[in-house]
Amino acid sequence: MNCIKNILILLIFSPLFSCQKEKTFLYEVDPVNVNSNGGIKNNVKSTTEFISIAYADLKGSNISSSELQNLSTVYTAFGDKKLIEDRIIRKFLTDPNTLLPATISVNGDTILFLVNTYKKFFNREPNEFERYYLKELIKTNTGIDSRIIYYSMMTSDEYRYY
Amino acid sequence: MRRRTFLKQAGLAAAGAFVAPYILPSGRLFAATGARKANHVVFCMFAGGVRNIDSVQHHDGNLLTNILNNNTAISPDIAPAMTVLPSNPLGYTLDSRGSLFKEFKYQKGPTGHFNGHTVALTGQYSNTDLVIKENPKVPTIFEYYRKHNSPQNAATNCWWVANTLGPFPALNYSSAAGYGAAYGANFIAPTSLFSSAGQQTIQNVYNFSNNDQQAINKLKGFTNQVFNHPYINGEAGIGNTESDKAKLDQFINNMFANTVPNSWGINGGMNNDMLNISFAEEILKEFKPELLVVNMQDVDVAHFNFTNYANNLRKADYAVAHLWNTIQSIPGMANDTILIIAPEHGRNLNGNNSIDAYGRAALDHTANVDLTQGDQTARDIFCLIVGPPGVVKQGFNFGAIGSPVGESIEIVPAIANILGFDNNIPGSILTPAINNQLLLNAFY
Repeated sequence: MNCIKNILILLIFSPLFSCQKEKTFLYEVDPVNVNSNGGIKNNVKSTTEFISIAYADLKGSNISSSELQNLSTVYTAFGDKKLIEDRIIRKFLTDPNTLLPATISVNGDTILFLVNTYKKFFNREPNEFERYYLKELIKTNTGIDSRIIYYSMMTSDEYRYY
Repeated sequence: MRRRTFLKQAGLAAAGAFVAPYILPSGRLFAATGARKANHVVFCMFAGGVRNIDSVQHHDGNLLTNILNNNTAISPDIAPAMTVLPSNPLGYTLDSRGSLFKEFKYQKGPTGHFNGHTVALTGQYSNTDLVIKENPKVPTIFEYYRKHNSPQNAATNCWWVANTLGPFPALNYSSAAGYGAAYGANFIAPTSLFSSAGQQTIQNVYNFSNNDQQAINKLKGFTNQVFNHPYINGEAGIGNTESDKAKLDQFINNMFANTVPNSWGINGGMNNDMLNISFAEEILKEFKPELLVVNMQDVDVAHFNFTNYANNLRKADYAVAHLWNTIQSIPGMANDTILIIAPEHGRNLNGNNSIDAYGRAALDHTANVDLTQGDQTARDIFCLIVGPPGVVKQGFNFGAIGSPVGESIEIVPAIANILGFDNNIPGSILTPAINNQLLLNAFY
């Protein structure tokens, strides 16, 4: 009797455990904005920030208030800011106290030099593409020294933002 | 179709075809004529708040012997304090080469220096604070010129040369929609730039070789491409083309190398106004701009010392004659330049409590936003327009004491008219000034 009862129960509930159509799961990724490494820098450095940071980057010390005042005066006295920034950086580069890596650092372990330079000026490491392109550029242009690289980076757009 | 209907419709169509080209998408009614009165305009803001009594009315004698033809001797009480200046470099007074508006009005708004400059450069009265370091909210003459002149010209054709910093660097472009830094003027405060601060910070800069420069272009081009967020107009001030930047860079080098102190041989040395004018002359020689605005403000010592004010008026007078003399020596600008001379505002009739060594009371400028506040004499100024015969009426006077002709806001549309782009400016912007261009009476 029990056996018949069990069979009946099994027959009644068996459709519930029969084969079902397999569910399809689709796994996706939420939309993500992809930026280049420097792309999240949206804020322009103020005049004072630009001057102070550039000074510290090249001389390894803080700018004095009198030098900052002089530079601010000159900066304000000309309308084309990029031109004045260019001259300020070029003036810094004539200073014997400016810390410029030796050529051997550029041509020796170029990648290490690039990583350090990107960290110093752009507060980030170069991506693979930047490492490859710049290493090749330096290898094929023996005249490129640290002064040229420093000047190029400090007068580039990314250096003006944080 | 009936003959009468046909003729009527044909007539309307012909009239429409005739009128239609003049109703332009910009909303202005007439196409630009492009007719210029001259190819260069120099506007000299003279010279930091000048009272008509002391300029065109000669109450203390003729303090402006290079500008005005008048033989009244300087009052004997202050005469001993006057610097002996070089003789008139022109051999004639400027009023004989132009039209003088003897009572010109700074009609509305506070008589502050920045506000006065803003009005003179925008053609619109302003009620902003007396000193506020922000770009004007309405376009400046520089932007009108660079946006509406045809063809559009580079920023090296358009200069604002200020004798000091403070808020004045903000006047080379506005924050107005559709205008702004992209159409701004090259700004320079030469006495600040070519100063000891400038010598220490931007003179004798490192010069890269051509080969270096090629490498720099590759490196910078690459990093800028990766960053893809150009640092340009506005955030970077105004922008010049790369070739113009090179010219400007060389110009700055030359100015540092060649500037000599007291090049005009002034007793006691050149004051700040004279220096500013002398640097403006170098810009004129180098770039031959179509529009240059230069100011002087040393007479503002009047707040503390009337006699020094009178002396500085004489120096400003000599400086503007020197400026005109230089313009006439520049090929391409000689006989093709209009010089406009006008103070940004006047000064009070009555002195303040500061009495100088000669017993004279100092002068403020207190006319305020409310036309009943302050001394309204500070709204009385003059305007002199100098230019080639056949273009500018020579030796003409307009207006008299109590009968003003013209006002400050007319200078901007007058410049636009001289350079032939006034009809290109959308009418609604400058309507009050354009409807009342008495200043144009100076021209044939």
